[in-house]
Amino acid sequence: MIGDRVAVVGAGMTKFVRRAQETPKELAWEAAHLALRSCEMTIDDIDAIVIGTAPDAFDGVHMKSEYLSDGCGAWGKPVIRGYVGGGTGVFAAIQGWYHVASGLFDTVLVVCEEKMSSCRPHPQAAFLTIFDHTTERPLKPNLLWIFALEMNAYMNRYGLSKRDIATVSVKNKRNAADHPAAMLGDPDITVEDVLNSPVLAWPVQRLDVSPVTDGAVALVMSANHVARRVTDRPVWVEGVGWNLDTAYWTNRDLAYPVYVEEAARMAYDMAGISEPRKQIHIAEPYDPFDYKELHHLEGLMLFDRGEAPRAAADGVTQRDGDLPVCPSGGLLGVGNPIAAAGLMKVAEIFWQLRGEAGARQVPGNPKRGLAQAWGDLMQVGTVVVLGV
Amino acid sequence: MSLLHRIEHPDDALNWHGDMPTEGRYTAGIAGERFFREIKEKGQFLATVCLDCDITYMPPRLYCEECFSHLDEWVEVGSWGHVHTFTVVHRDLDNEPLSEPRILAFVTLDDADGGLVHYLDEIEPEDVYLGMRVEAVFRAEDERQGSISDIEYFRPV
Repeated sequence: MIGDRVAVVGAGMTKFVRRAQETPKELAWEAAHLALRSCEMTIDDIDAIVIGTAPDAFDGVHMKSEYLSDGCGAWGKPVIRGYVGGGTGVFAAIQGWYHVASGLFDTVLVVCEEKMSSCRPHPQAAFLTIFDHTTERPLKPNLLWIFALEMNAYMNRYGLSKRDIATVSVKNKRNAADHPAAMLGDPDITVEDVLNSPVLAWPVQRLDVSPVTDGAVALVMSANHVARRVTDRPVWVEGVGWNLDTAYWTNRDLAYPVYVEEAARMAYDMAGISEPRKQIHIAEPYDPFDYKELHHLEGLMLFDRGEAPRAAADGVTQRDGDLPVCPSGGLLGVGNPIAAAGLMKVAEIFWQLRGEAGARQVPGNPKRGLAQAWGDLMQVGTVVVLGV
Repeated sequence: MSLLHRIEHPDDALNWHGDMPTEGRYTAGIAGERFFREIKEKGQFLATVCLDCDITYMPPRLYCEECFSHLDEWVEVGSWGHVHTFTVVHRDLDNEPLSEPRILAFVTLDDADGGLVHYLDEIEPEDVYLGMRVEAVFRAEDERQGSISDIEYFRPV
């Protein structure tokens, strides 16, 4: 472990909505302001700023973090923007960690924002140019293609049905019904609803997918000696990990996320975790699609390969199960403002470990939790392990 | 060294064209909505004030950039000030000559910190000088749409 222990001491988030009237800066400010207020700190107490935000094209602002900076409290401070696509939200917390662990800063404000409603006709269009301009773009690809091919590969390798996977969407949208900031909470949704929703790119149907969302989330992270002063309930960063697979989606194992496993191994080694199934009490894996939660739970080595769907069917991943997964409601339920959604997962573990998750609180006083995100060209894994 | 360094014309190498087909739909935000509605309906400027930092933000902001507090102190500010600096634009975005060069000025407002970058008109470029007194010219009320173009330009007082 490098340097001193680093704690999360505060968190805040905006409501996740379909179309925010607020500017991206105003969204960022609201989340940052709430995070500071949650730990009774002011911007003067903050030494450095980490900004996480995904493709500039979403908000329609080139050099988006420079634009966002004043809303993130960056005036007169050292600032950095990290960017690993959808993995950005959890990576921003990792950056916050190493800013403090390095000894360079005592306090860091981490702010992630996304305003996807700006992007017309649909944020999908912003992704067109992630595809290879020579071999793929002439086919007029859609981002869903990658997920549909990946989901199909996963289903076929382990003999899974659509029904096995739809349970994840149902669980998360039901969990989100208890989240005051959620956009798509629905206590009454059923597996049939998911299976009867329109097919977008088979096997992906509309209710398998998280929505386009506007929102922002912020964390306050601090060094040990500051954490002891500002709170009697610090939540410690016990491990961090991130890893990249090949950028060629045609050259990686679509049925198993090796990059998530490598990121998890890095984080577990740092945290001294040798048996993740016993030592992780609560998990917030990245769930922009229902199958991705299962995919990622296996990459995180919380279930054997191909076994996560059975555990989900048996209720293991329910909020009151042996391993609560996405008790927040996840991206499928709370919403998916890309970078903000990843940081929301870290914030959820923070709230859960402090017993502050309200109606979402998992039973049993969990002591250690994990947040994970995925993104870039769908080949990055980012993992943070928090503990009390 | 790549082929393109040695060939006469870009089309001598295989190539094709594509674009990133997105457009933005931007909101003015919480503070901006009130600012532009005031311009549209009353033809005047509003600002927000941070009493702690003694800053009058125009255009108004929802929060103080320096102390990060929420700003809910709104004041009306005059639409006049002085030319802080200016340029004379001769070419458009495509590098085509403009039929008439346009004067672009950064106008500092008397009653606020900061100000606006906007066109300057009703004056010849050679007569503009730094510190020159100017005022905003608003479009007629029935032409205003609640945007920065509701200000047609600034002109000498």
